[in-house]
Amino acid sequence: MTNPSPDAPPIQAQGLAKTYKVGFWFNRTVRALQSLDLQVDSGQIYGLLGPNGAGKSTTIKILMNLVRPSGGTARLFGKPVEDAETRRLVGFLPENPAPYEYLTGREFVTLAGQLSGLSGHELDGRVTEVMGAVEMAGAEKLQIRRYSKGMVQRVALAQALVGRPKLLILDEPTSGLDPLGRRQMRDLILAERDKGTTVLFCSHIIPDVEALCDRLAVLVGGRRVREGSVQELVSAQVPTVEMVVEGMKPEDVRGLGIPLESVQALDGRVMLQVADVDSQRLLGGVLGAGGRVNRMQPARFSLEQLFMDTLKESGRATSVGGEINT
Amino acid sequence: MSAFTAMMWNGFREARRNRVTVVVGVFAAVVLLSSTLVTEVTVATFDRVLTDFGLGMMSIILVFLTIFLSSSLLSREIERRTIFLVVSKPVSRRQFLLARLAGTMLTLGVLLVAMTLVFLSQLLLFGATITQTQLLASAGLWFELLIISSVGILFSSFAGPAVSAIATTGMYFTGHLTGDLYQLASRSESIAVRSVGKAIYYLLPNLERVNFRPQATYALPVDASTFLSGVGYSLAWTLVLTTLAIFIFERRDFR
Repeated sequence: MTNPSPDAPPIQAQGLAKTYKVGFWFNRTVRALQSLDLQVDSGQIYGLLGPNGAGKSTTIKILMNLVRPSGGTARLFGKPVEDAETRRLVGFLPENPAPYEYLTGREFVTLAGQLSGLSGHELDGRVTEVMGAVEMAGAEKLQIRRYSKGMVQRVALAQALVGRPKLLILDEPTSGLDPLGRRQMRDLILAERDKGTTVLFCSHIIPDVEALCDRLAVLVGGRRVREGSVQELVSAQVPTVEMVVEGMKPEDVRGLGIPLESVQALDGRVMLQVADVDSQRLLGGVLGAGGRVNRMQPARFSLEQLFMDTLKESGRATSVGGEINT
Repeated sequence: MSAFTAMMWNGFREARRNRVTVVVGVFAAVVLLSSTLVTEVTVATFDRVLTDFGLGMMSIILVFLTIFLSSSLLSREIERRTIFLVVSKPVSRRQFLLARLAGTMLTLGVLLVAMTLVFLSQLLLFGATITQTQLLASAGLWFELLIISSVGILFSSFAGPAVSAIATTGMYFTGHLTGDLYQLASRSESIAVRSVGKAIYYLLPNLERVNFRPQATYALPVDASTFLSGVGYSLAWTLVLTTLAIFIFERRDFR
């Protein structure tokens, strides 16, 4: 068996699908993932964004060989994910990681290093290095059962880093962390990227995705509905203008008959969004009706807005989870 | 240290830090030492009572611990999701399962050696004779525990800890009765009963093949071929049961 090639794309998936059988008689199915194509190139931070049950964690579990796909293929560094050797180049941080609680933080990271093939002085040095990097050197001799959630998350990240991975797969890495912890986690991910490590991470925390990702895919209901760089995805949206109007009520503005993206009453003022092509017509209408335009500027598109729009388009703004068939 | 050895030592370390193992170890030492009280009410056959009680207690305590450790070995890792951080390393599921079994057997082996030393010390203290059969009975117990652990791991590969523990306990009792069931069934006039008796005998492990405690109690010799065939029988069943467990475990989804 040949070794995984560090020059091959870190992640390649084609037509990936997963259907779970559920119920007492396993007579119902949940389609958690449907025909997912994914390629993550070397050195990228690639984000998987989606609501709960979108298929993000299922994708990651297939890549880590924790779950067997019902269809399609997945390869890490050119080798099938079933090949244990591929994981020598991979560091994995699962969602809500559960390290062995009877071990100390250092013992656990040492075990992870041994499983990654390190030994002797190299192992000792590397464990000290990563425990320092995640700022856990001071608590490394404490049993993990005494750790807070944030400390567990840090130790779990340390075990992912100990084998000097070329690919980091992180499932909700900032979940449950306080703002400082989130910031530190983000800095650590960026530092790894700067060292040349490829990162795949999934999250439903949009600011994290926006701050970190070079490229991202939006998953909804087990399908990929958007893919591209943050810039590409955001600029593909219809440009809109934000306007603040005084001397009119929301219903007066709506009464002008111009289609509005949103209308919000704000303490005697009305804040509204309108498509750029309709903005001049609206301006004329407001002034003609005796209103006063306090502010008018192009709206800044955010990933959050794109995400919400995507959910609405998919008809899943309120529902979560994969497709359930009975 | 190889990944396999690291996982095996970790299994041993887990058992060592587990309160149940520690309590069982201390309890075993106390029970073995208290067997001297039994000798107080013994008029004759002093050696026999000491051997019977000592080996019997070792068996009961270690079988209890084996069922406790093995029946939750895999299912607990899956339920607590600790397995995610291990099988995401460059180790195969087969390696993981075998290393966990090896860790359990190492724990049981260390406890068995410690208990045997306490037992032999008692024999020496009371001037009783130490026989080769007593040592073979102690070694045979380890091979019996190996079969029980393999049964526990097999159930643990697809069922929860409670179901695994109940099924493994059932297999332990059946395993000691298969010979008797076979004898009873073979005396029946019904072909169906005889077939069922035969099926149970051949389809389930016969734990009496590695049980040399009765011979040790009555100071009967156990020849090398009997002992080695028991060991071979135990290893063959372990191979069958762990192969089946690996087959199931490699196909499981960890959700």
